[in-house]
Amino acid sequence: MPAKRTLAEELASRQREISVAEFFERNRQILGFDNPQRALLTTVKEAVDNSLDACEEARVLPEVSVEISKVSEDRLRIAVEDNGPGILRREIPNVFGRLLYGSRFHANRQARGQQGIGISAAVLYAGLTTATAAHIISKVPEEPAAHDLELVLDTAKNMPRVVREDVSLWGDKERGTRVELTIRARYQRGRQSPYEYLRGTAIVNPHARIILLEPDGTRTTWERATTDLPVLPKEIPPHPHGLELGELVQRLRRTRSPSLASFLTDELSGVTRRACSEVLTLARLSGREAPASLEGAAIEQLLAALKAASIAPPSSECLSPIGPMLIKRGLKNVLGTLRPDFYAPPVTRPPKVHSGCPFVVEVGLVYGGDLPPDQPIQLLRFANRVPLLFQQGACAITSAVAGIDWRRYGLEQKTGALPVGPVLLLVHVASTKIPFTSEAKEAIAETEDISREVELAVQSAARSLKLHLSRRIRRSMAQEKFAIIRRILPKLAEKASGLVERPVPDLTPVITRIMDVVTVESQGGGKDPEAASDRYLLELTNYTARLRRLEVFLEVPLEALAEGFSATPAPASVQPESGRVSWEVMKLDPSARTRLELHWPKGVALEPSDIDVYVAGVDDAHLLGADPLPGDWDVRLPAALVEAAENAESAPEKLSPDEEELDYDATERKESVSQDED
Amino acid sequence: MPPKGKSPSARTKTDPALLRASREALRPTLQLAEQIYGQLDKGEIPRMRLPLRTKQNIQFNLRDGVWKLGNQTGVRSARKLDGALMLLRTFWLVDFIQEMARESKTSTLRELYYISEQWEDAKFHSEDESNLLVEDLEVLCERLREDFRLHPEENGASVIGDLTLEEVNRKGIKKRINCRDDVGDGGYQLPNNVEKEKITFRGTGAKFILAIECGGMVDRLAENGFDEEFQALLVHLKGQPARSTRRFLKRLNEELKLPVVIFTDGDPWSFRIYASVAYGAIKTAHLSSYLATPSAEFLGVTASDIENYKLPSDKLSDVDVRALKAELSDPRFNTEQWKSEIELMLRIGKKAEQQSLAKYGLNYVTQTYLPEKLTEMGVL
Repeated sequence: MPAKRTLAEELASRQREISVAEFFERNRQILGFDNPQRALLTTVKEAVDNSLDACEEARVLPEVSVEISKVSEDRLRIAVEDNGPGILRREIPNVFGRLLYGSRFHANRQARGQQGIGISAAVLYAGLTTATAAHIISKVPEEPAAHDLELVLDTAKNMPRVVREDVSLWGDKERGTRVELTIRARYQRGRQSPYEYLRGTAIVNPHARIILLEPDGTRTTWERATTDLPVLPKEIPPHPHGLELGELVQRLRRTRSPSLASFLTDELSGVTRRACSEVLTLARLSGREAPASLEGAAIEQLLAALKAASIAPPSSECLSPIGPMLIKRGLKNVLGTLRPDFYAPPVTRPPKVHSGCPFVVEVGLVYGGDLPPDQPIQLLRFANRVPLLFQQGACAITSAVAGIDWRRYGLEQKTGALPVGPVLLLVHVASTKIPFTSEAKEAIAETEDISREVELAVQSAARSLKLHLSRRIRRSMAQEKFAIIRRILPKLAEKASGLVERPVPDLTPVITRIMDVVTVESQGGGKDPEAASDRYLLELTNYTARLRRLEVFLEVPLEALAEGFSATPAPASVQPESGRVSWEVMKLDPSARTRLELHWPKGVALEPSDIDVYVAGVDDAHLLGADPLPGDWDVRLPAALVEAAENAESAPEKLSPDEEELDYDATERKESVSQDED
Repeated sequence: MPPKGKSPSARTKTDPALLRASREALRPTLQLAEQIYGQLDKGEIPRMRLPLRTKQNIQFNLRDGVWKLGNQTGVRSARKLDGALMLLRTFWLVDFIQEMARESKTSTLRELYYISEQWEDAKFHSEDESNLLVEDLEVLCERLREDFRLHPEENGASVIGDLTLEEVNRKGIKKRINCRDDVGDGGYQLPNNVEKEKITFRGTGAKFILAIECGGMVDRLAENGFDEEFQALLVHLKGQPARSTRRFLKRLNEELKLPVVIFTDGDPWSFRIYASVAYGAIKTAHLSSYLATPSAEFLGVTASDIENYKLPSDKLSDVDVRALKAELSDPRFNTEQWKSEIELMLRIGKKAEQQSLAKYGLNYVTQTYLPEKLTEMGVL
């Protein structure tokens, strides 16, 4: 009689290993495949991120095309093709058909993808929802032909299975990879669409050329705005502040360093000799121990000492921020059609550290144009150059932005909400490790260090916005003054003179009194290189009561100063390496005007907004249409100029009589009219 | 091409007397032109000074018993766009008035607003602006707008009761009218000009004037024969009364010694109707001694009436509450009696219409409410 199985044996017989693939099959929301719309976006995103990462590592300017076509009512085919380095034949099945297989997981540096889950999860999802295989074509430049494979992911084993294989010439493409998947999904435009995702990607990757072909045949190309590849971030060892006990144990076992001291200084970031001896003293260790010989209690002491000792922050060479200049170019390139009034100077904060990982926060801000004035601002969130489109409310970036008092910077806001106004705000967090709230990588978790940096960076951009808004008010006041002096005053003088039967007096002195500014007006240039003028004209008018000596500085894009550049009158200096051109206007009488002119080489297309104008010799309050010279330019101004500017500031002009008195046309009289009918 | 208003057929023979009169009325504007020319010549920004017509700048004039403009002034300067435009418009307006005098024409305020379409950059943006400028000119020249050949559209009140007057009609003929016997149900309608050269009083059987806010209430009193039974002259104010209505009430009060009693709805806006009749309106404070009837008394509906007569009422709106609070800081309402009425209305938070008295039947207002109130006031 066979022995009756115990309950424990009964239960044990049902226990078996769950493959990673099976686990994700059941828990697809973790990876961002919980609904068809999201699945589409995640698929595009994973493929594009891989392409960009691969191109940058191979130092190739990326060109990525995404084609989405409709197969049936609820099926889409997605093809993503790049000009990257290609993938070796033996690696193709693992890269696309095996979860948790990747090259970047163990590397401590900034990258888009890391875990080696994304694209294989998309292959898994395709097999799951449409029972189709993934179609991969890839060519490395060293081989004569491309490999053309179809493969599926065996969920039980988490292993790839190649179902068809071929070798082809793939046109005459030299290198690159194409992945084609058929998934259950529905195509939509709008927020959280592939279009939005690629637009965002184009902004923060101005070195990439991105093409999108939508199911209805619409083709969008985001041309690159620079040919400079981002600096390839360097791999650095882990920093003690981010180290966890288990990881330390593993590293001590695996190291080849002969002594604990050499392990500490060679295999961890920021541990100098001095820091090393501080750690060893705190941990009461000599440093001569063989790393593998350390036991539980000693390792815990060592870890505590590593956290307590004063250790330099990790090197930020492992990061590759976009940089202010390229943020501005990226925004202009992609948002140009919105015709914004203002691009705030972008902000790239110095690197900081969160739990041992270096990170950098960058911010760009755009105001006005066709952005809707009565809606909450558009917040574009990015992590390691990847747009975050979902879970905005749960993201540390959002709460940091909403936590700022925007009313101080000239926007309307309900406390604790995103402000309202025609603003597009870009926030980029770059780090070796971004603390996401979940594996779908859609929201950054609240950490004090990151939130604080986001706040500081955004505030800095908001200050620029405030300055712009107050300048705009001054500009509209100036427009009012122009209307007075050009249209009203001459007529008033004519009428009064007619009544008293005398000749019209010279109005120049009155005009300078009303205006009381030096105006700088620019015109010329244009976007279209064929039709646009290659001429840029700057007109300065002295509408103040005193003679002015001015110095005018232009900052123009470097290409404008290439062979073929000319300027009249001859500039005082031209610096082709910094793009600066300056003139001295020795003498500008009250009511007098002068013209400065630039010509740039054929084929260069510039708009007046591409050129920054600075003027010295008149203080900010009496200058219109240009900015005062920035302090960090380190330009030595002639003493007379400095003195004139200082005098203007120290001795404010006496208020004229009617500025101290009640303005008759601004009294509450107007209100009382509606109440007391005649 | 738009007509410039000078086509030969429209031209009338110039009456030198009219032109002289208008030149005389406009004399201060020539001084203004001299002043502005002088400023421009010296390189100064053109400016002029005007007394403020604001709540803060009206003062009670003991001699006349009315509220007049105080001595606060403001500056209209070409430094600001609004000021520059108003200065320029003043001269356009002077031109226009002279042109009307040459052609023996007059115009309504509304026509003036549209005439300014020809004034290029100086055209008015709203009728408020044109009305204000005409008042500014009244203040500057110390004249009435009629002296500038400008008048409002006909919106004068109607009068019902035993009053006999003579009106010079359009043909220049004196016409004798009794406002009870010679008129239809609508009563006698006041013309814009109610001065002596136009209207003279020839006798009355009335003992007092009851000036009423709403037409419905005038009709009720007329139908009930209130004017005959109580020897009253009924004057329909039509909301905020026009200048001519206020001037007419003042003349009746002064020349025929008839007491004036004001009967309105019980809300903050009606209080202002009373104040403009009795004390003068803020924006016409420069004309108070000519328009206001200081002895006029307020009959109701008062806040206490709402309580005492248990009248059907509405809740005060936010705007009402703001208006009442503004009245608390209005010097014209700075009396114990008005303060307590306004505060009572704020406390009970209610307002009521005159016609809510119909709650007690159609005869209640003429048989009970008015006799009670008028006796209390000592009018009956």
